[in-house]
Amino acid sequence: MSLMDSLAAGLSLVGNIEAFFMLFCGLVIGVIGGAIPGLSATMAVALTLPFTFSMAPINGILLLLGVYKGGIFGGSIPAILIKTPGTPASSATILDGHPMAERGEAGRALGMALYASCTADAVSNLALILFAGWLASFALNFGPPEFFALILFSLTIIAGVSGESLLRGALSALAGLLLATVGLDLVYGTNRFTFGDPNMMGGLNFIAVLIGLFAIPEIIAMAWNPVAHLGRTRALGKTKCTLADYLGSFKSIIRGSMIGVFLGSIPGIGAAPSAFLSYSEARRTSKNKANFGKGEIEGVAASEAGNNGVAGATLIPLLALGVPGDVITAIIIGAFMVHGLQPGPMMFILNVDIIYGLFIGLIVSSVFLLVVGSVAIRGFKFVADVPKRILMPAVLVLCIYGVFAVNNNIFDVGVMFVMGWVGYIMMRNRIPAAPFLIAFILGPLLEDNFRQSMLMSGSDPLILFRGPITWFFWLLTAITVFAITRSTLRKRVPLS
Amino acid sequence: MSEKSLHLRLGIFMSLFALFLVLFAIPTFVFAPSNVGNIILSPLFWPYVLAGLAGVIGLGLLASAFKPGADVPYEDEEDTPHPEGSTPWLRLAALGAIMVLVMFGLPRLGMVWTAMLAFAACAFLFRTRHPIAALVCAVVVPLLLYAFFAHVAGVAIPQGNFVRLP
Repeated sequence: MSLMDSLAAGLSLVGNIEAFFMLFCGLVIGVIGGAIPGLSATMAVALTLPFTFSMAPINGILLLLGVYKGGIFGGSIPAILIKTPGTPASSATILDGHPMAERGEAGRALGMALYASCTADAVSNLALILFAGWLASFALNFGPPEFFALILFSLTIIAGVSGESLLRGALSALAGLLLATVGLDLVYGTNRFTFGDPNMMGGLNFIAVLIGLFAIPEIIAMAWNPVAHLGRTRALGKTKCTLADYLGSFKSIIRGSMIGVFLGSIPGIGAAPSAFLSYSEARRTSKNKANFGKGEIEGVAASEAGNNGVAGATLIPLLALGVPGDVITAIIIGAFMVHGLQPGPMMFILNVDIIYGLFIGLIVSSVFLLVVGSVAIRGFKFVADVPKRILMPAVLVLCIYGVFAVNNNIFDVGVMFVMGWVGYIMMRNRIPAAPFLIAFILGPLLEDNFRQSMLMSGSDPLILFRGPITWFFWLLTAITVFAITRSTLRKRVPLS
Repeated sequence: MSEKSLHLRLGIFMSLFALFLVLFAIPTFVFAPSNVGNIILSPLFWPYVLAGLAGVIGLGLLASAFKPGADVPYEDEEDTPHPEGSTPWLRLAALGAIMVLVMFGLPRLGMVWTAMLAFAACAFLFRTRHPIAALVCAVVVPLLLYAFFAHVAGVAIPQGNFVRLP
């Protein structure tokens, strides 16, 4: 199929009001979800997922992608106005955004955050369109040993970078892998940790696990301290972001976008490290280096470009390899699965219309984000005024309905509650939840590819190192472990 | 809390958990056909590998607890004060009880009524400052969700044994 044919096929799917309306709704939901501290983009995507079950696949996925992109930008609004990041990725935005708000320049900071986000989003979408197809055609050469090495690399990197400690990240990933073994054995069909319960024979429901891990802990945290969310909202002020501000920060925005694209396309890293790296690079190279941390608009631009640059790029490994780039794309993979789609290289052959439909939708999403974001900045006061002590019970009820709707099974609601407490215990013990979820998704794939490799080789483990592709991933895994261990040890050496 | 105390606690837990998996959970709850010739292809192999990794991570956590600099307390510990006369552990227990009651109520009362009660109970547990709004939302939100999931998405929402909705 030629490029024009593929584009036409994609356009036939999304060339209707409904698809764009879903994308727009997604952006609105995402911006609101991201703007409410404690709700986060991740939770917004997880809570929206059950509503997509009854939609056409493309509409459902566009809705979720809208929530994702809106949520990442939305997180910057409370970061600037109330010094509380709406999403972890917005933490870097606080460094300069909030001091600007304290000076009465919140409107200027938010304007820059929006323009940097939209620019980075467009760059990221472009990278996705350019590289995903190329990577997918390359990935058609992958066999089980290559996929095993790739998944192991993804798990290593997410365990290492998603928290403060490689060991705690590894613990989280291991717990996810263990939970993924529940159910019938992939080859022999015998029971593993099912305790004789037929509900567990198909494994634990992925959506129940993810909603339990990412939504319920926030509700439990609210029970622990119902006033922890209260903060003071700053006024927007009269100054606005000008074209001169934008052009002055343009270099940092493009650099941040590139950093976002690069880090986002590596499975497992996500937006927060990208935002901090982009911020530190901008500070290192800026003429106004001394102002960073005190309310420098270039700092806001760099961190927002860094975290939004990831949004399209995380879809590269998802669509091309079937490996989620971060925790939100791990949730979005659920939408693909629910609709009977399997992301990966074969999707570029079997479902090329959906792939190109998504590309078209993503390009439009950058424009929609500009519109929705402009309104959201002015409307944040109303979002901030939503009483969280009423919002969280509503989230609980939404979780119950949503998780039940997946399989019409009350058992899944129980799984969600249990996973919620597991997630809360992990949160209290500073164990990141993202490696858990990604390992839970990738666990069966990892084991399946391992066993297929062993079957192919007559149980010779050397097949796992059979060629340049596996060597490449093993090398990356080794470098990741070495780099993270070294940085951990360095942090621990007391400054003399 | 410092990294030392955290890693010590997690290290001990993981080491014991690995032993529990190897000595009890895997032999008892993972079944393999007797004719599997190759251990690597057995359904037992992967759980044992993971149990071994759990042990390694547990030992790693224990070792890292005793490295220099690990006993410095974390800087970003929870600093927001609890409300006056607050009993956080009691609230956690109450929320746990609400979840158990939800599981009990779903097949008997139906999802809508259970959700209404759960909503109201949670709002008051979280000491809402808008009790009337909370009660209105407790009624409206589950009904709206019911309308969507039952009539738009076609999900068979449990109706319970008492009051059935259209």
